[in-house]
Amino acid sequence: MGMEPIGPQNTPVVPPGVPEIAPGHTYGSVTDKISAIVLTRGTRKGWWVGFLIAFALLMVMHYAIAMVLFIGVGLYGINIPVGWGFAIVNFVWWIGIGHAGTLISAFLLLMRQKWRTSINRFAEAMTIFAVSCAGVFPLMHMGRPWLFYWLLPYPDTMGVWPQFRSPLVWDVFAVSTYATVSVLFWFVGLIPDLATLRDQAKKRIAQFVYGFLSLGWRGSAIHWRRYEMASLLLAGLATPLVISVHTVVSFDFTIAIIPGWHSTIFPPYFVAGAIYSGFAMVLTLAIPLRSFYKLEDFVTMRHLDNMAKMLLATGLIVAYGYMMETFMAFYSGNPFDRYMIMNRMFGPYAPWYWLLITCNIAIPMTLLWSSKIRRNVKALFCISLVVQLGMWLERFIIVVTSLHRDFVPSSWGMFYPTAIDFLLFFGTIGLFFTLFYLFIRYLPMISIFEMRELVHKTAEE
Amino acid sequence: MNDSLPPQYDRVQQGSLVAGVVLLGLSIALGFSNWTQFFRSYLVAFIFWTGMGLGCMAILMLHHMVGGTWGFALRRLLESGAKTVRLMAVLAIPLLLIVPKLYSWAAPEADRAAMPPFKRFYLSRTFFTGRTIFYFAAWIVLIYFLNKFSAEQDRTGEPGILRRLQNLSGPGLLIYGLTVTYASVDWAMSLEPKWFSTIYGMIFMVTQALSATALVTVVVMFLSDRKPLSDIVTPLLFNDFGNLLLVFTMLWAYLSFSQYLIIWAGNLQDEIPWYMARASGGWAWVALALIVFHFAIPFFLLLMRFIKRRKRILAALAAGLIVMSVIDIYWLTVPAFEPKGPEFHLTDYGTLIGIGGLWMWLFLSQLRKRPLLPLHDPRLEEVLHHG
Repeated sequence: MGMEPIGPQNTPVVPPGVPEIAPGHTYGSVTDKISAIVLTRGTRKGWWVGFLIAFALLMVMHYAIAMVLFIGVGLYGINIPVGWGFAIVNFVWWIGIGHAGTLISAFLLLMRQKWRTSINRFAEAMTIFAVSCAGVFPLMHMGRPWLFYWLLPYPDTMGVWPQFRSPLVWDVFAVSTYATVSVLFWFVGLIPDLATLRDQAKKRIAQFVYGFLSLGWRGSAIHWRRYEMASLLLAGLATPLVISVHTVVSFDFTIAIIPGWHSTIFPPYFVAGAIYSGFAMVLTLAIPLRSFYKLEDFVTMRHLDNMAKMLLATGLIVAYGYMMETFMAFYSGNPFDRYMIMNRMFGPYAPWYWLLITCNIAIPMTLLWSSKIRRNVKALFCISLVVQLGMWLERFIIVVTSLHRDFVPSSWGMFYPTAIDFLLFFGTIGLFFTLFYLFIRYLPMISIFEMRELVHKTAEE
Repeated sequence: MNDSLPPQYDRVQQGSLVAGVVLLGLSIALGFSNWTQFFRSYLVAFIFWTGMGLGCMAILMLHHMVGGTWGFALRRLLESGAKTVRLMAVLAIPLLLIVPKLYSWAAPEADRAAMPPFKRFYLSRTFFTGRTIFYFAAWIVLIYFLNKFSAEQDRTGEPGILRRLQNLSGPGLLIYGLTVTYASVDWAMSLEPKWFSTIYGMIFMVTQALSATALVTVVVMFLSDRKPLSDIVTPLLFNDFGNLLLVFTMLWAYLSFSQYLIIWAGNLQDEIPWYMARASGGWAWVALALIVFHFAIPFFLLLMRFIKRRKRILAALAAGLIVMSVIDIYWLTVPAFEPKGPEFHLTDYGTLIGIGGLWMWLFLSQLRKRPLLPLHDPRLEEVLHHG
C-alpha cells in the first residue's frame, strides 16, 4: 500500500509552508544555479578528494577482477553447499538500489507528482550506475566471462541453447532490457538540459561536446511535443520494468525448492525491498549533495519527508514478508521450513540475522513514524545507511543460510567470504561513486527545464 | 451545495432489504434439506461481502493518507461501505457456531493428534473463534473512529481533524494488512489445512480493494448527474477511478500469477494439489475465465482513455469486475468442497445475493445520513477553489 497519490490535482499531505522549491526563484536563477555547478564554478577540492577515493576503490575492483580472470572463481568463498555467495548477494543488492531511480523518474511522472522533479535526474543516474555495478557480479561468477554470449539464444554450431525455463536466463533479458530503457530514458531526459549547457558554455570544447550530445535541440514547439511523447512512452515502459526485474530476481530463488527460497511472497516482497534500499540510497546521495552544493532550495525538506515516507511504506511490506515467511514455516508443518527459520534465528548466522532485523525493522520502522525524525536531516542520513546495511544483510541471510544446511546433514557446511569477495564488493562501490562523481561534475544533476516548469507552476498558484 | 442521497434511492434501499430477507430466507429454507451445503454457500458470500466492507475501509484510509481529488467523491461511499462490517460481524456468528461442519481440521473425525503441533494449536476451535472476534473488534473500532472524526470535521471544520484522521489511517492500514492476512488464512486457506502460501493474504487484500473500488465507481456513476457530486465529478475523475481499477487488476494478476508460477515450478507435494484441483475438470474453465475476464479484457480496456472517461462504460466494466471478484473468491475456496468441478447449488446464489441485499440496504441507509461530499476538508476546499 505504499502508493503515492493518484489524480490530476493532487494536494499531497505535507505540512503547509514546505514547498517543492524555495520561494523567490526565477527561470534565470534556476538555470544559473544548476548549470554553474557544471560550467563556471570549476572543480572543487572536496570533489577531488571524493573522486580520488572512489577511483582508488575502482582500481581495487580492477585488481579483484583481474585475479578472478587469471586464477578463477576458486578465489571466492563459495563451495558446496554454499554455491552462491557474495556475487549473488551483491548483484541483488545493487539491482535493488537501482529501482528507486526508475520509480521516481517513471512511476511518479505517470502519477503527476511534482516533488519528483528535483531528484529524478540523479536518482536515474544512480539507477544506471547501480545496474552497471550489478552486472559485474553475474559476469564474474561465470568462470569464463568471455563466453557470456552463450546465454543469448542465437543459432550456433555447438547446438547450445539457453534453458528458457530457468529464471537465470530470464534475468539476462530482464536486466539488459532494464539497463537499456534506463539509459534511454535518462539520456532523452537530458537532451533539453544539454542544449542549455551548450548555449551557456563559454569554452569551445564544452560547446562542442554538449552540442554534439544535445542532438541539435532547438527547443521548438515540435521538439517539445515529441519530447513529451517520448518521455511519456519511456516512462510507461520503465514502470513495469521496475516490477518485472526484481520479480525475476526473486524467481532466481523461488523457482528452486530450497527451504528459505521457495516462498510465494518473494516477488512482491523483493520488489518492496528493492525500492526500500533504493530510496535509502537516494537519501544517502541527496543529503550530502544538497548541503555540499547548497541545493537546499531545490531538494527541500518536503522531498526528504516524502522519501522517508516511502521508506516507511516499503519497509513495512518487507517486514510483512519476514512475518509471513516465519508464520508459514510453522503453519505449514513442513519440518525443513521450520528448521530453516529456527536455524536463521538461532543457528551459526543468528547474529547477522538479528542485525538484519535491527537494521531493517527495529530501527527504521520505529523511528520513521515520527515526523520530527523524518525532517531531521542527520537522523535520516544515518537511517538511510542503516537500511542499506540491513538490505545487504537480508540478501546475505537469504542466500547463505538457506544453502548452508542442505537436506542431508552430511552435506552441511559454512560460508566464509574471502579477501577477493570483499575487494570485489568494495570495488564496485568505487565504480559506483566514480561514475557518480563524474556525473555531478559534467552533467546537470537536477533537471533544469523541469525546475523551470516548477517555477512556472508555483508562480501560478 | 451539500445535499444527501436523493429520495428515489428509498425504493432501492427498501428493495435491497426485501430481496435480502427473502433470498436469505429461501436459502435457509433450502438449508433444512442440507445444512452443510447451505453453510458452504454462506461462507463464500460472507467472505466476499466482508471483503467489500473492508476494501472500502482500506481505500478510505489510503485516501486519508495520500489525498487526491478522486477520494473526495468516494469518501462518503467508502465510509458507508465500511460501516457494513458491523452487519458482517453479526453474520459471522452462525459460522462460528458450525465450524466443524465446514473445516475438516475441526471435524469430529479429524485425527488431531497427527497434526503438527503448531497447526494443532493454531487451528483449534477456541483460538479460531477468538481470532475472528478479535478481527471484527479491531475493524469495528477503526471504522468507528474513522467515521467519528469525519463527522466531527463536517460539524466543526477544525483543520486539525485531518491530522487525526491521518494519524489513525497509517497504523490503521497496518492493522488492516495484518488482520486480513490472518482472516484469509483462517476462513479460506484452512479449508484445505495441508496447503499454505505466503502470498495468499496479499491476494485477498487486493481483491477487496478491487471489488470496493469497482462498487463505488458504479455508485458514483449513478449519483454523478446531480448535485453535489456533479460539482466535482468530471470525465477526468472517472479516468482516475479507471486507473485505480487498472492498478488493482494488474496487482491481482501479478500476485495470482506469481503464486501459480512458483508453485508450478516447485511441483512439491505439499503445494501442488491445490492447483491440481483448481486447474482440472470444471475448475479449469473457471480458471480460464478468470484469466480472460478478470485480467486480459479489463486490462486492455482500462488502458484506453476512451473507456475510462465514459462513465457508463467504465461503470459497466466495474460491475463486471465485481462479478469476477466473486468468481475469484469462489474459485479460491469452493474446490475444497467440490474437487471435481463446480456444482450448481441454488443456495450459492441465494446467500450471495441475500447477504448482498442486506449489505446494500445498510450501505444506503448509512449513505443517506450524511451529506454526499465531505464538508470542511481543507484539501477538498482547495480543489473546489482552484476549479
